[in-house]
Amino acid sequence: MDLKTLCELRGLSGREDAVRKAVYDVCVEKLGKENVSFDGNGSVIAVRKATDKALPRVMLAAHMDEVGLVAISATDEGLINVRTIGSVDPRVLLSKRVTVGYGDDAVPGVIGYPPIHLQSQEDYKAAPKLDKLTVDIGAKDKAEAEGKAPKGTHISFDTKYTDFGDGFVCAKALDDRVGVFNLLRLLDAPYGGELIFAFTAQEEVGLRGAYAAGYRAQPDIGIALEGTSANDLGDTPDQFKVCIPGQGPCVSFMDHSSIADHELFKLVLKAGEAENVPHQIKKFIAGGNDAGAIQRAGAGAKTVVISVPCRNIHSPASVCCLKDVDNQLALAKATLKHLMKG
Amino acid sequence: MDILSFLKESTGRFGPVGYEQALAKWLKEQFEPLCDEVHIDAFSNVIAVKKPTLKPAGGAAPPKIMYVAHMDEVALLVTAIEKDGSLRVRGMGGVDPKIFPAATVTVHTETGGLFGVIGAKPPHLLTEDDRKKAVKFDDLYIDLGMAADAVKAKVSIGDMVTFHGGMVELLNGRAASKTMDDRSCIAVMLDAAQRLQKLQHAAEVIFCCSTQEEVGGYGAKVGAYSVDPDIGFVLDVTFANYPGAKPDSTVPLDAPAPVCGAYIQHKLLDKLRDTAKNNNIKINMELSPGYTGTDADDVQIARDGVPTVLVGLPLSYMHTTVEVVDIETIRECGRLAAAFAADIEEGWDKDLWI
Repeated sequence: MDLKTLCELRGLSGREDAVRKAVYDVCVEKLGKENVSFDGNGSVIAVRKATDKALPRVMLAAHMDEVGLVAISATDEGLINVRTIGSVDPRVLLSKRVTVGYGDDAVPGVIGYPPIHLQSQEDYKAAPKLDKLTVDIGAKDKAEAEGKAPKGTHISFDTKYTDFGDGFVCAKALDDRVGVFNLLRLLDAPYGGELIFAFTAQEEVGLRGAYAAGYRAQPDIGIALEGTSANDLGDTPDQFKVCIPGQGPCVSFMDHSSIADHELFKLVLKAGEAENVPHQIKKFIAGGNDAGAIQRAGAGAKTVVISVPCRNIHSPASVCCLKDVDNQLALAKATLKHLMKG
Repeated sequence: MDILSFLKESTGRFGPVGYEQALAKWLKEQFEPLCDEVHIDAFSNVIAVKKPTLKPAGGAAPPKIMYVAHMDEVALLVTAIEKDGSLRVRGMGGVDPKIFPAATVTVHTETGGLFGVIGAKPPHLLTEDDRKKAVKFDDLYIDLGMAADAVKAKVSIGDMVTFHGGMVELLNGRAASKTMDDRSCIAVMLDAAQRLQKLQHAAEVIFCCSTQEEVGGYGAKVGAYSVDPDIGFVLDVTFANYPGAKPDSTVPLDAPAPVCGAYIQHKLLDKLRDTAKNNNIKINMELSPGYTGTDADDVQIARDGVPTVLVGLPLSYMHTTVEVVDIETIRECGRLAAAFAADIEEGWDKDLWI
């Protein structure tokens, strides 16, 4: 399954169905149906049995869901009022294309904005607020809009996956389809201990899937494969840049959801150095991810996070470097290899 | 001509204000099958002439009616290359910087187009202060996914940047795209030219695709000078409804919107309204008390003055990449424009001023 296909699948938190099906099919093909299941929150859990039971049981996790919008009501003129699912800055929504609904009922829509000609000086200088932004599907009135997009209808960014520059890619949902992509590539990774692959649901709305997945697996070690914020261009002062795309995956010692197990953190860095995998330490404490849930599920686990730096994260046009994606896989493999060495 | 295919193709063509040369060549080809003579003038205006099919009595010169819709589009241009390889930009024409975070664009360099992404700060790192601020041009940068050296080898200061925004069809015959302003009114002229193939007309009909409207009607000024028309008929998009619009500042999407106001010759406008009525074309009147902000402002005062009318094609979200129009309204504008040309007969101006 390629990264393009995964990014273009639509699955906002709570409605990950399309991604779930794609992931399930690959896991069944590679590990056999008896080793793949869904948990009570819709995460896909694939298990690969140990050949050496002395090795730690490792859970590798990546989340299937993406951020987006949800319909809440419609105006008399037939425009759809929205709320966000997950964290989205309203400023990235202006003048963008979206898809409203799923499957055969889906329709295209656009997010308009008042023309510059008619904005007062005050309007021009004001940041756009979510309650002023509406999705236009061409509906003539409230009834037609609410018929096509009843309250709760998911609305996703409509962005084509595009390769550009020197090995970069622009797409929606790189957070965290990069992790899902690599997790699928890790299904046959060399490791003697038990591996639990968790494709989690609902990370963007509070790590919901990972709590249940971590509880069921009770691993010794949890490794979250993520996409994380790069903030390296423009006017950002150096200390706020977080990480630089092209310089390898990030290893986090801490973020807003967890503090990495320090020994494990050092082991990942050591593995990267020993196997010549480019990597960087995440330089700013920001964001959160499934490691926070896995670490504290049940009796607890040691966790660490390996992330691909993504510019414009949580926007319709996130950007990452494909070398970093491959090196995230390489660093995860190097880490497993070093866990075997003890 | 199929309106949707024309819009899909034409809105994707490169034509920033002042850089319309290639677009003009393509538009010339679109008018050639429908007109007797088409040329491109020194200002890159496309001027297409359809000769009268009815001969005026006594060998008098036929009245000349000139239709004008502009071909140029708003865009950005590169003003600096930063140390990190990102590009700084400014608007060409009236562009709102707020629409650009997380937008994709094409940077047009000497050696071809480059895909670029306009940066947006991650929400995880926004401060309360950041969230209250509108994005300014100074905040924008284009990411080309290349190191600074590679960028400098390809990009020059002054390179044009066009927006991405391919057409999507919405419900009820509406469509959204970049640059519906004003390629949708060129579609109106092509539609009118097509209808005129089947109508008899005593007037010489000139279709002008004008340049540099987005910075001030310069193409139309030059075009109207050389054409020297008796009647000006300007087509441009106008503001359709949007949430929070002030009362009376917009018109509905579903009908052509002729403009009344000081710059519009009122008896010619009456004639246009009669044409609409006689042909069962629904219209909504729009008011521009003075300045119209369209090519009409320049056509009206070309040479020793040109009696001019202006028809607005309602469009939502002007100067964004999601400009919405109603395709049926384009057809109705075309029908109105063609019927009006056919209604111009000898002596059309006898009661014009008294």
